[in-house]
Amino acid sequence: MRRLRALLARLAGSFGGPRRERELAEELESHIRMDVEDGMRSGLGEEAARRRAVQRLGGVEPTKEAWRDRRGLPWIGELRQDLRYAARTLRRSPGFTLVTVLTLALGIGGATAIFTIVHGVLLARLPYGDADRLVAVWEENADRPGRSNVVAPANFIRWRERQGVFSEMTALYDWRVSLTGRERPVELVAQFVTSNFFTTLGVTPALGRGFLPGEGPDGNDNFVVLGYGTWQRLFGADPSIVGKTVVLSGKPSVVVGVAPRDFGFYLKAGSLVGKPPDVWLPFSFSAKAREPRGRHLTTFARLKDGVSLGQARSQMRGIAASLTAELPRFDTGWTVKLVPIREEISGEMAPALRVLSGAVAFVLLIVCVNVANLLLARGTARRQEMAIRTALGAGRSRVVRQLLTESLLLSLLGGAAGFWLARGGVALLVAISPVDATILSRVRLSVPVALFAILVSVVTAVVCGLTPAFEGTRGALADSLKEGLRSAGGGTRARRLRQALVVAEVALAAVLLVGAGLMLRSLARVTSVNPGFDAKGILTARVTLHGKQYDEDERSLAFFREAVARARAIPGVRAAGFVSFLPFAGSGAATDFAVVGEPQPAPGQEPVTDVRVCDDGYFRLMRIPLIEGRLFADRELRVRSNVVVVSEAFARKAFPKGDAIGRSVVIQMSDQPVPTRIVGIVGDVHHESLTSETRPMAYWPHPQLVYSFMTLLVATDGDPALLAAGLERAVQQVDRDQPVSEIRPMESWIADSLARSRFSSTLLAVFAALALVLAAIGIYGVMSYVVGQRRSEIGIRLALGATGDSVVRMVVGGGARLVAAGVVIGVPIALALSRTLSSLLFETSASDPATIAAAVAALGAVAVAASWVPAWRASRVAPVEALRGS
Amino acid sequence: MGEKTDVWQGTLALMVLRTLQAMGPLHGYGIARRIEQISGGELSLNYGTLYPALLKLEQEGFVASAWGLSENNRRAKFYRLTRAGRRQVVRESGEWRKTTAIVARFLEAGEGTS
Repeated sequence: MRRLRALLARLAGSFGGPRRERELAEELESHIRMDVEDGMRSGLGEEAARRRAVQRLGGVEPTKEAWRDRRGLPWIGELRQDLRYAARTLRRSPGFTLVTVLTLALGIGGATAIFTIVHGVLLARLPYGDADRLVAVWEENADRPGRSNVVAPANFIRWRERQGVFSEMTALYDWRVSLTGRERPVELVAQFVTSNFFTTLGVTPALGRGFLPGEGPDGNDNFVVLGYGTWQRLFGADPSIVGKTVVLSGKPSVVVGVAPRDFGFYLKAGSLVGKPPDVWLPFSFSAKAREPRGRHLTTFARLKDGVSLGQARSQMRGIAASLTAELPRFDTGWTVKLVPIREEISGEMAPALRVLSGAVAFVLLIVCVNVANLLLARGTARRQEMAIRTALGAGRSRVVRQLLTESLLLSLLGGAAGFWLARGGVALLVAISPVDATILSRVRLSVPVALFAILVSVVTAVVCGLTPAFEGTRGALADSLKEGLRSAGGGTRARRLRQALVVAEVALAAVLLVGAGLMLRSLARVTSVNPGFDAKGILTARVTLHGKQYDEDERSLAFFREAVARARAIPGVRAAGFVSFLPFAGSGAATDFAVVGEPQPAPGQEPVTDVRVCDDGYFRLMRIPLIEGRLFADRELRVRSNVVVVSEAFARKAFPKGDAIGRSVVIQMSDQPVPTRIVGIVGDVHHESLTSETRPMAYWPHPQLVYSFMTLLVATDGDPALLAAGLERAVQQVDRDQPVSEIRPMESWIADSLARSRFSSTLLAVFAALALVLAAIGIYGVMSYVVGQRRSEIGIRLALGATGDSVVRMVVGGGARLVAAGVVIGVPIALALSRTLSSLLFETSASDPATIAAAVAALGAVAVAASWVPAWRASRVAPVEALRGS
Repeated sequence: MGEKTDVWQGTLALMVLRTLQAMGPLHGYGIARRIEQISGGELSLNYGTLYPALLKLEQEGFVASAWGLSENNRRAKFYRLTRAGRRQVVRESGEWRKTTAIVARFLEAGEGTS
C-alpha cells in the first residue's frame, strides 16, 4: 500500500519538473542561510560560515542530484530520453516517417470506419424490447419466390385467430396525412397500426402512452402518437403536448403519447410511402376486412417464449396451406414467409457491407505488409548503426528498447492519425450511405474496433521494427560491420523476405482490384440501362388531397386538372402532367387482369399488371414513346370512358399475336371491375429500379379510377429545381390548404435508386486504388533497395560495356517478376472470392475476363512505373564511383 | 551498496520521524541540527542526505510539508508528522528496540565466550 503510494508519487514526480526544481532550490537556499546565520552568531565570518554550511550540506549539486534520483522513476527518465531520440531520428527521415504514418493512418482509419458502420448496421441494438424475438410476417407468391409481399387483411385476421406460436401479432400500413390548423399545411407520413403495436415491440413511449385495445377510427375520438423528431420539429418539444388536439387530414386527433427518441419502425419491403413514419395512428379491422380483397399490410409478431423460428415457420405455413384450400380464388400460389426483424432491417445492406468489410480487412493486411516492408528496409539500412552502437558498448537490451520506442512512436502516430481519419470517415460514410437513417443515426465510432486496428498495426510495427535489433546485434559483430561497409552479397534472407512481402501485397491488391473492377463494371451496366423515359429537366411534386370535400370524385378530378393547367402556365414550363405512382419512388398498385373473350385461367394463374392513373401529358413530358394507337383523348380525361393504354410488356404477354389495339381487358381494381378497351401501346418503363425487370403496365385516365393523390410533373429546358416555388404556388392557387411535398427533380429519384450500388462500388474502388498505391510503394521500396545493394555489381556491368537501357530492363524486369508472381497467386484467390459478389452484380459475370485483364494490366503498369525510378537511377551509376563502394 | 544505504536510510528515517514527534513541525535544517545534537556529535551527518529521506517519507505519506516562517522570520519549508507518520514512529521504534535488544544479546554472548 505504502509502496504503491510512493510509486504513484514518484510516477507523478517524473513530470512537471521545473516547479519542483525551483522549490528545492529555494528550500536548500533557506537551509544554507539558516546555517550561515548560526555560524555568524557563533563568531565565524560570513564567508567562512557559508563555506562551512555548504560543506556540512555535502554540496548543493550532489544534494539536488540525490533528491532528483528519489523524486521520479529512473526508467521514465530513460524513456523520455529514448522518445526524444526516436523523435529526432524520425524527423531526420521525414519521407520514411510520412509514408509510414500515412500508410498506417489509412489502414487504421479505413478499417475502423467501415467496421464501425458494419457494427452499427448488422449488430446494433435495435430500439425494441427483446428485439431478437420479433419476426416480420410476409406473404410469398410462388411466381416470385423469395420476395416479401404485403399481407391481405383477410389472411392476417385468420392467421391471428389460428396461430399458437406468437404472443402478439401486429399489422400496419403507411400513408400520408396532412397536418393543418397551422401557418402552412404539412404533409406527414403516418403508420396506421393495430392498437398492440407498441406493446408488441416492447416499447414505452417517452411521454404519455401507446394505444389501448379498441382504439381505432371507429371510436368517438381519433388518437395519435407523435414521433420524437416530429414532436421536436413541429411542436417545439412542448412538454405538455399529451392531451392536446391536432388536426390530421381534417380530423381533430388527441395526442396520447410521444415515441422514445431512438424509436422508429420501418420495413421498406412493405412501405407504400417509402419513408419512415412521422406519426402513428391506430386502426382496427372492420367486419368487411374478412372478405378476401387486395394485399397492403406489413405485419410482424413476437415469438412466444420457447418457440423457435422454425416451429413458427412450419405452423404458419400449415395455416397458409389450409387458407389456400378455403379461399382458392384468393390464396392459390400464396404462402407465408417469416423473417427476423433484425435481418429485415439490415438485410438489404448486409451483402454489400460484408464485401466492404472483407475489402477493408484486405487493405489493413496490405498496410501491415507495407509497414513491415518499410521498416525492414530501414532496418537493413541501420544494421551498421546498430552494430556500431553495440561495438561502442550499448547493451543489446538497450538497443532493442531504443528501436522498440521508435516503432511504438511511429505506430502510435499512425494510430492517432488513423483514429482521427476514422472519425471523419464514419461521418462521411453516414452522410453518403444509402442505409435507412433510423439505424445509422445511432452509429458512433466504435472504440474497440479502433483499438483493435491500432493494436494490429502496433504489433506489426514492433515486430518488424525490431528485426534490425536482432540482426544487427546478433553475434558476429564484425561481420555486420564488414557487410555494412561492403553492402554486397549477404542480406539475402532479408531480401527474400521483402520480396515475399511484395508478392503478397500484389496478390492482395489483385484481389481488391478484381473486386472493384467487377463492381464498377456492373455499375456501368446499370447506369447504361434505359429507364424507358427521359428524366432530364423534369421536376416532380407529391400532392395528397386532404379534407372531406375531396371525397367527391368530381372535386378530385377538377383539382388535378386545374393544377396541371396552372403548372403548364408557369414561365419556362414546356409540359405538365400527373401520375398516381412515380417510377423509382416506391411501390405502386398491381392487380390481376383478364382478357375479354379468352378462357378464364385457373385460380392463382391470372396474369398480373401494374396499374397507374395519369393524364396524356405524363407520357409526353416523360417522353415515353407511343408504339401503336393513340394516347387519351380530351374527353376521356374528363368523363369515365372505359379506355386504357398498356405497355409493350402487357401487350406481349396478353396478346402474343399482336392484336392488342381495340381488345378489352378486365383489370381487378375495384369490386365491380368493368372491361376497358385498349386504345394505345406505349414503351416499357422501369418502375422500381434500373435493375428490375419491366412488368406489364396499364395506364388509366384519371376518371377511370379516381385517386385523391398524385405526383405532379413539369418539364423545362433549364434547371428543373428552379421551378419548385412556382409549382408549389400553382398548387396552392387551386387550394391553399393542400400541402405539396417532396419537390424533387426526377433525376434525383433515379440517383437515389442507384445510391446503394454506387456506394459500395465507390468504396471498393477507393480501397482498390489505395491497395494499388500501397503496392506501388512496396515495389518501389524493394526495387530501390535491390538497386542499392547491387550498386557495385551494376557498376561492373556498366564498366564492362552494358548499356544503361539494359540495366533499366534488368531492374524493371525484376520488379515485373515480383508482380507476375503476385498476380499468379492473387487472381485465383480473386476468382474464388468474387463469387461472393455475385448477388451485388448486374449482368456481369463474377469471372468477367475483361475485368481481370484490366486489373492485371493496372498492376503491371504500376509495377513498371514503380521500378522505373530506381532502374533509371541504377543506369546512371558512374562505374568508378560504384566500384569504389559506398 | 544498495543494502547498506537501505539500512542507513531506514535508520535516518526513524530519526527524522522521532525528531518530528518530539519537536513538532520543523524545517530541514532544524531536523539536521537536532539529529546531530541528540547523537552527541558522534554521528557526522551530511545534512544534504536528509532531503531525499524527507522526500521519500513524504511520498510514503508519513510526513507532509508546507512553507512557513522560521523563528528568525525566514521563509522555510516545514515538515510535520501525518497520522500515518505517528503510527509509523510507534511501529518502527518497537521494531528497532527489538532488533537492538537481539543484537545486544549476541554481542554480550560473544564477549562471554572469547
